[in-house]
Amino acid sequence: MTLAPESLGRSSRPSRRQRLFRSMLDALRNPLLAVGGFLVLIQLVAVLFVGHILPFGPNTMDYNALLGAPGASHLLGTDELGRDILSRLVDGARLSLSVGLGSVAMAALIGVPLGLVAGYLGGAFDAIFMRLIDSIIALPPLVLALTIAAVLGTGLVNTTIAIAIVAIPAFTRLVRGQVLSLKTNDYVLAAESLGAPTWLILFRHILPNAINPVIVQASLAIGFAIITESSLSFIGLGAQPPQSTWGSMVQVGFQYLELQPFYALAPATMIFLAVLGFNMLGEGLRQQFDPASRGIK
Amino acid sequence: MQFVIKRVLAAIPVVFLTSVIIFSLMRLLPGDPITVMAGQSQSDASPELLQQLRHQYGFDRPVYVQYGLWVQRALSGDLGYSVYNRLPVWDVLRPRILPTAQIGLTAWILAILVSLPLGAYTAVRMNSWVDWLGTALALIGAAMPYFLTGGLFIYFVAMRGGMLPASGFVSPFVDFWQSVRTTILPALTLTFALIAVLTRQARSSFAETMQLAYIRTARAKGLGEGAVVFRHAAQNAILPVVTILGLQLGSLFSGAVVTETVFAVPGVGRLLVDAILSRDYAVVQAVVLFITLSVVLANLLVDIAYGLLDPRIKQS
Repeated sequence: MTLAPESLGRSSRPSRRQRLFRSMLDALRNPLLAVGGFLVLIQLVAVLFVGHILPFGPNTMDYNALLGAPGASHLLGTDELGRDILSRLVDGARLSLSVGLGSVAMAALIGVPLGLVAGYLGGAFDAIFMRLIDSIIALPPLVLALTIAAVLGTGLVNTTIAIAIVAIPAFTRLVRGQVLSLKTNDYVLAAESLGAPTWLILFRHILPNAINPVIVQASLAIGFAIITESSLSFIGLGAQPPQSTWGSMVQVGFQYLELQPFYALAPATMIFLAVLGFNMLGEGLRQQFDPASRGIK
Repeated sequence: MQFVIKRVLAAIPVVFLTSVIIFSLMRLLPGDPITVMAGQSQSDASPELLQQLRHQYGFDRPVYVQYGLWVQRALSGDLGYSVYNRLPVWDVLRPRILPTAQIGLTAWILAILVSLPLGAYTAVRMNSWVDWLGTALALIGAAMPYFLTGGLFIYFVAMRGGMLPASGFVSPFVDFWQSVRTTILPALTLTFALIAVLTRQARSSFAETMQLAYIRTARAKGLGEGAVVFRHAAQNAILPVVTILGLQLGSLFSGAVVTETVFAVPGVGRLLVDAILSRDYAVVQAVVLFITLSVVLANLLVDIAYGLLDPRIKQS
């Protein structure tokens, strides 16, 4: 009896789906990835589904329960207008996460191509451009974000843009470093000698090999973006009423800290958990992509 | 000496470019400073007077001339005039430096005292429960927003416990003990994030050093583990930590902005926020320049110290 070649292949090598399943199992064994992924997942679930099942809307006022203590009807109590803090937390999650994801998407879309071009072309453009990037990095991130936010004006769209600008240099530097080490590889030289256009080499041959650290950086940057947005809103330069993010809840809540500690501390804790989730996810992915980094954290 | 000069020269383009960035950002703001000044003092100054003032301050000249004038005045110590406070900018900025420096330095020293031993210990006892605790602390410290750490301190220590003041700052030249009491909570708030970063760096740097041959030699001589770690390994392992310490000065300023708001400390960070909110742009420009120069200077000093401590760097 002879075996068909296909079945031989199937028994010796796991299928694509099996490999994906195995790598997911492997990923779950990494505590950073598992906990980080879980934290990020519950945020998304809260944003997408929990808002609909809560008994109170985020703007429903209850004048019989101003700054009410946590209890059976209002699990985390109420704010100075009698609004349910839990409902406002879930609603704030939507805006806080949107700013985090939006600003990082913007930063990656601008920073990655810039890094590709600077690293690949080299020369004067690279030298001058990287000096500029270095100077931006020399400014403390929150101070720069504050200043840009002051120039652009308050409001969430401007806050998103300000955070994106601050987050660009990290992507550019990272990708440039990757390109410098990748561009001497044989497959790049081969593509060059076949006359492939520069954009094709960059996006088809170099970028796919440089993408893993970019994914790691994106996850870490989302954590940074969430904490920066909340700091700006806390200071009064981010979200403006009636819009309300976790950071602006903390800002108002601080005035009532003694009477109703959950008002400020609950959204602050949500910010902490969100940032922790994205940071752990990023670190976990880094270990997953580069097993050598597991020993020394 | 040649090494020092090289480092100083390398810092100049960074200072130049950041000053250009700050200047350009300020020029992007709606309205020139004279219009803002006239608007805020609510004077009914005639357009001719405004034009004359504009000419006097050089705001009607090309942008690069204005930049040159600004740099020239800043170098001679004239940072401009604070419209909001009706004082020269330097007189507004100077009293704000002490609180920020005192709280920041305290946080810095606390972080070194905790991180170096903790990092060394976790590197030697990898995967022990202390190591896990250290890793968990590092993750938590990096993700804690300053207003959460500060808010918890204010609520539990100041409000419930009544042990320390919840806000304000007292100069040590006025009342030393009260000054210490007002410094503790903001410094602890700032140091937590710093400890997270430093411990991680110290751990990986000690772990790397402990693999080296001269450590094996020291052990083979029969030295106790404590002497090996603190006498032999520490000398090498501390160097990368020093670099991180310099780099972290920038994030200390970022932290100061939020922490000084939380604890109502009249420092540089709070001044920046107030200046932005009151559109006092001469102050914003001066504070950002001050922060940038401090960061660049700190990194320069670290760089030079690093070169002096480690001859290998100087040669490369």
